[in-house]
Amino acid sequence: MAQPQRSRPDSSSLAEVLDRILDKGVVIDVWARVSVVGIELLTVEARVVVASVDTFLHYAEEISKIEQATSEGDLEDLEELDVETRPESSPQSASE
Amino acid sequence: MTNRYVYGVVEAGDGVDREIDAVGGADRIYTIEHSRLGAVVSDIDTTEPERTDEDARRHDDILRELMDGGERTIVPMQFGMVFDNDRALKNVLRGGRPAFRRALSDVEGRVELGLKLVREEGAEVDDDAVRGAVDDELEELAADSVEEGLFSDRLVLNRSYLVDRENREAFDEAIGRLEAEFEEGGDLLVQYTGPFAPYSFVDVHIGAQ
Repeated sequence: MAQPQRSRPDSSSLAEVLDRILDKGVVIDVWARVSVVGIELLTVEARVVVASVDTFLHYAEEISKIEQATSEGDLEDLEELDVETRPESSPQSASE
Repeated sequence: MTNRYVYGVVEAGDGVDREIDAVGGADRIYTIEHSRLGAVVSDIDTTEPERTDEDARRHDDILRELMDGGERTIVPMQFGMVFDNDRALKNVLRGGRPAFRRALSDVEGRVELGLKLVREEGAEVDDDAVRGAVDDELEELAADSVEEGLFSDRLVLNRSYLVDRENREAFDEAIGRLEAEFEEGGDLLVQYTGPFAPYSFVDVHIGAQ
């Protein structure tokens, strides 16, 4: 039998593209995209948020900073807000 | 036109500004940066773009082109994510930053590939044995995988794989071996598709309260 060849994936299928771009990918609700009054408080659902209680508490703490800033009207100062997951609470390390 | 159609999110500095056929008849994509992230966008005159085949292709083609060469990591949006003002877009980049950062690191240097195994009409196939053979070949080469729906009883396997660029060639060869094995008997058809932006491996949903 001949040596099997390297297979090349087919990128031309519209059905495969539609399956992905209509059902997968990042979703942002219309209310977060079309702001009617000022700045809404966002809800973010992702693996990073539910990774661990530690991550969640850190996240909640940062969210409260946003709420405070919103009520004080100085959102522009929040540019450097850091709500990143700390390494020790990443999903990988939490599951290991 | 102040509406922005968003294709995906990149690290700040990985942005683009170029002429290209874009969704809704636009001819340019560019990047709006905030909170050390960038949203790759084009201008559009509606907030509810029609899902035409042509624009579906453009959305996907643009993401594919941005990924090409592997120097840029992009977190792909679902089709139709239009913002009616830049303030809302920046707010989402800011509030969603940890989720976008996590997603960027999950898919860095990786592409999505699709695999469907379809049973030929009337053929008898041992589904478990087939799936076992696929796992033996592909599990070690993929960084992640997700099961897609078996929407037909002839579909033996339907999966998306997240594969490191450096494993692409080995992955293609493994698929080649599976094709040789399965298609020789004439019972199974192998549909290997992609590479796609990692749509199936970014799990982010942003809403507003």
